[in-house]
Amino acid sequence: MTTIIPALPPVVLQLDRLSRRRAGRHAVRDLDLSLHAGQVLGLLGVNGAGKSTTLSMIAGALRPDSGGIQLRGEDFLEHPELARNRVGWLPERAPVWAELSVSEHLDAHGRLRGLNGSTLRAARERVLDRLDLQPLARRLAGVLSQGQRQRLGLACALLHQPELLVLDEPANALDPVQAVALRGLIREQAAAGTAVILSTHLLAEVTAVCDRVAILHDGCLRHDGPVQADDHQALERTFFEIAMHGDAAAHAA
Amino acid sequence: MSGAVAGTFAVARLEWRRMVVRPLAWVLAALTLAWLAWNFTLLLGGFLAGQVQRAALPDGPGFTDLVAVPLLGQLAQLSFLVVPLLGMSVIAGERRNGTLPLLFATGLPASRIVLGKYLALLGWLLLWLALTLSMPLALAHATDLDWGKLAAATLGLALMLAALAALGVACSAFASHPAIAAAAALIIALALWSVNVGAQMAGISGGLLNWLAMSTHEQSLLRGLVSTADIAWFALLIVVVLALASRRLDNERERG
Repeated sequence: MTTIIPALPPVVLQLDRLSRRRAGRHAVRDLDLSLHAGQVLGLLGVNGAGKSTTLSMIAGALRPDSGGIQLRGEDFLEHPELARNRVGWLPERAPVWAELSVSEHLDAHGRLRGLNGSTLRAARERVLDRLDLQPLARRLAGVLSQGQRQRLGLACALLHQPELLVLDEPANALDPVQAVALRGLIREQAAAGTAVILSTHLLAEVTAVCDRVAILHDGCLRHDGPVQADDHQALERTFFEIAMHGDAAAHAA
Repeated sequence: MSGAVAGTFAVARLEWRRMVVRPLAWVLAALTLAWLAWNFTLLLGGFLAGQVQRAALPDGPGFTDLVAVPLLGQLAQLSFLVVPLLGMSVIAGERRNGTLPLLFATGLPASRIVLGKYLALLGWLLLWLALTLSMPLALAHATDLDWGKLAAATLGLALMLAALAALGVACSAFASHPAIAAAAALIIALALWSVNVGAQMAGISGGLLNWLAMSTHEQSLLRGLVSTADIAWFALLIVVVLALASRRLDNERERG
């Protein structure tokens, strides 16, 4: 009798002993992490735990001091150009070029990511529709509310259909309706095979959309495990134990 | 087109777009062109008033010497103020807005980001030069233009604008605030122009200081003398300054 074992989706992201110092201290230290296609990983941690630094390195905006990043088995540090069409990044606070309209903003992002002509136009229309930005298409990015900026940032991250989506506090400034829509969007991306890594302070966000959760503390990975969608309290307990006492109690749990 | 080349043009296009929607570029262009147009009419008036006396001189100065080249000389003077103001926010502004990491995250090398921004700024400045040049050229059919001298002077101006644009981009890469970038670019450009003033006052015509000064190379081009050494001096300055700016951005990506 032969047993058929379902094949695991391919590993999209692999971090090997990733380290980075910032402002004279270890912002991220010896971080090992992997992420499969279609998986949604929630990155938790208190302020200063190293979440944004980790995501900036994965997005290619910041170089690590040591360690490695592999995208589908290719060395990302050797080939930073891989970021161009494989990674979509929404940075914290979603910075924008204030002088450009929403539509121009998406065009500029698309060209920077290698899209042009009809491909770019189609991609722009797709994300404008998907993120309900059509009514704002001609509005200047500089006059958008923070929630609208956040949606524009998300649209830019999704424009080139990346295989890895890096979202730094994507639910920031979104109203409850938009936050629910964001969850749907993330699940939709995961279902299409995109690997998603998101940092957040909202534990409910993690239990609602993530398959896995990683908790950072003082730049070190203290917890990495599956998320039990129906056990919000267990996640809360683990998070607070790590936040208060480092890793010992969490490991015991 | 390779990814890096396409990326450079994407950065240039983005910077160009940002420049043309900002009022500063238009205000500077409008004010300076109005000033140059006024001076053009004054120069032309002077030229017409002295026409009878000059008719007696077989090799006397013509329209090019008395109107076109002096007008370009005035553009050169204005460029010391205009270029730092236009270039101040190309990188320092991105840094302040938090959009610089968005460019880093495209995987483009820092040199391509710097080059893209430089090309956009240079494009705007060359347009400014072309509009200024259109004033004497509008009278080309009615005057006896010295095309060779005008071409040399235009080349000199284009090289000077290119060098000042490179300085502006580099100062913007190093400065934390656009205003600091503008002040630094202005001071460095003036110092580079007049580094040989002391040597000239002492009656020294050659030497390292004279070679270092931008005025030495620019003035011979404005006089209609095109030499490879002068062109190489400008090219060297542009390459060195843009390389420094790229190095600075690379460090920033490393340092965070």
